[in-house]
Amino acid sequence: MSFLLVMKAELVRSFIIMRRYWFRTITGLVLGYGMLMVLVAGFIYSREGLEERVQQFDDPSSATNFILGFIVGMFAFGVVGMFTQGLQGMAATGVLEQLCMSPHGLAVNFMAQTVVSSVATILSSSIMVYAVTWSVGGMLHWDTIPVLILLTLTFFNLVGFGFMVGGLVLVFKQVGQVAILVRMGLFALAIFAKEELLGNPWPFTFLLHVLPITDATICIKYVLIKGQMRDISAAGAAPEMVFSSVFAHSSFYWLIGNCLFWTFVGLTLFKLMEDYSRSKGTLGSY
Amino acid sequence: MTDTALVELRGVCKEFSTSHVLPVDEETRKRRLFKKKVVCAADNISFSIAPGEIFGLLGPNGAGKTTAVKMISGLVRPDAGQAFVKGLNVEKKRRQILRHVGVVLEGTRTSLWPLTPFENLVYYGMLKDVRGSVLKERAHDLLDFIGLQDKKNVQVRRLSRGQKQKLAICIAMIADPLVLLLDEPTTGLDVQSSRAIKDKVREITREQGRSVLVTTHDMHVAQELCDRIAIINHGKLIACRPTDSLLEVFSEQVFAFRLDRRVPLDLFSGIPGIIKSEYEGSEEPELVFQLVGEQQDLRSEALYKIIRIFEEQKCLLRSVSQRKQNLESIFLRLTSDDPDADVLKKGNTCLSS
Repeated sequence: MSFLLVMKAELVRSFIIMRRYWFRTITGLVLGYGMLMVLVAGFIYSREGLEERVQQFDDPSSATNFILGFIVGMFAFGVVGMFTQGLQGMAATGVLEQLCMSPHGLAVNFMAQTVVSSVATILSSSIMVYAVTWSVGGMLHWDTIPVLILLTLTFFNLVGFGFMVGGLVLVFKQVGQVAILVRMGLFALAIFAKEELLGNPWPFTFLLHVLPITDATICIKYVLIKGQMRDISAAGAAPEMVFSSVFAHSSFYWLIGNCLFWTFVGLTLFKLMEDYSRSKGTLGSY
Repeated sequence: MTDTALVELRGVCKEFSTSHVLPVDEETRKRRLFKKKVVCAADNISFSIAPGEIFGLLGPNGAGKTTAVKMISGLVRPDAGQAFVKGLNVEKKRRQILRHVGVVLEGTRTSLWPLTPFENLVYYGMLKDVRGSVLKERAHDLLDFIGLQDKKNVQVRRLSRGQKQKLAICIAMIADPLVLLLDEPTTGLDVQSSRAIKDKVREITREQGRSVLVTTHDMHVAQELCDRIAIINHGKLIACRPTDSLLEVFSEQVFAFRLDRRVPLDLFSGIPGIIKSEYEGSEEPELVFQLVGEQQDLRSEALYKIIRIFEEQKCLLRSVSQRKQNLESIFLRLTSDDPDADVLKKGNTCLSS
């Protein structure tokens, strides 16, 4: 109940700011739309030649792989950024001290803020994914339920990871700068993540599984690009594609495990760091 | 925990360490690679605040006043000792305690500037678990009480500093707390705003029975507002008394003798009860004695001896006056290395009556 009340407070606050600074909101939307249209126009313009061009790639889905990875990467960049830049900003304005003194606790307050702020990110990411699906005309396979489930799991996965980074920011405010590198790393990983990467030696593969975005991206790409079709042919034989739900994909289970792992690690570390920063006297100060 | 106290700090200690990379060593004047500096923000501090009491915490910059406030509100964890609010240990029942405590830290930064005062109160009210019609009603009442009703729909960024400060107090009071912690509530405000805030704080305490802790540099604020004052320096509590008693102790012990000529000061050395003697002024010198504050017999004996010396020296005694001190002079003396700070320590009443 308390989480819902805090979330309501955050929703009301966000809505008021969005309405009050309508010019900024509208220009933001126009700019976003403009960028989106440029992206879509680029696809439409090159659509005729796209099929020819994608033949040049070893993997025909390389182009869409890249674009989809870009969008997922942007999502990861944004969610983790809320914990780093967001915390730093609140510390600088003094609002963080007030949140720390709320009886709901800082973690609940911050979770609510992140959920509310993420609504816009999730919406814009979904619109972009959908627009890309439309513009490439069938090269992407939109499947609402798996996509929503995957996006939700990815979100909580990233939130868990964000809580971990945010916890560090609470104590070491300068970590925020390093966190930009971490966000860039996630961004890059989202672009280049594909199933083939998991064929590497096990320590490297394990590391990729542990990172919060790898399996999420692989699953999203599996649904949207491959249309949940798996090649079951023997090596060297002609490809034989059969439908295999993403929910049966090993990366999906890694994603669930990852989600639980990062949520647990993130919240635990955030709590520990909150306590430590109270000892250090850095909670709420910048 | 004393029976009546709403807030109590019991022997709390807090040290902060800061690391400096490539600092210049003060002794050798050479640059070092790394240096860790430890600052004591609280050294065995104890005091309590009763319901309906305004308790002032005075001290120079970096004395540890804000740290004390943050320890009560659970923002800083003490290294040793305990803080209690309403009989509950702040460390163990922090969330429960936060419902009873309203805090104003750097007031103008507390509020969200894009929102109006009313929206701020609703937002922070929800964060403090206040909801529905109670919240809206309380927000209106508070704005009425503090005198911001006509500004309730103006964005905070357009308000004056005093108005922002008033709003910060409303935000701290939105959950109807029993304890209000005000960190420098009148700093940077004009006379009218400062007066208005002082009046409101008095009203909150006297009429609504809340306990208020005020930290301030401003001696006038402390003198006018506080029932009891604690003076803190380098993390140590060096005095803690009812305001009147604090002023009384010092007002009785400074005597100025206007003479026709200078008398050697050595003649007065060794007289028990004299803490300090010095000349002030040049043309018609005034010989000023600081005498012990609380031991009346000793002080009386010292005064007789002083006058006897004037007689022996055949000085013309033009006038004698007793200097009334204000809190500012007491504060300056106590936070300097004046030896008579010990006088006050003996009579400290850190626990609320």
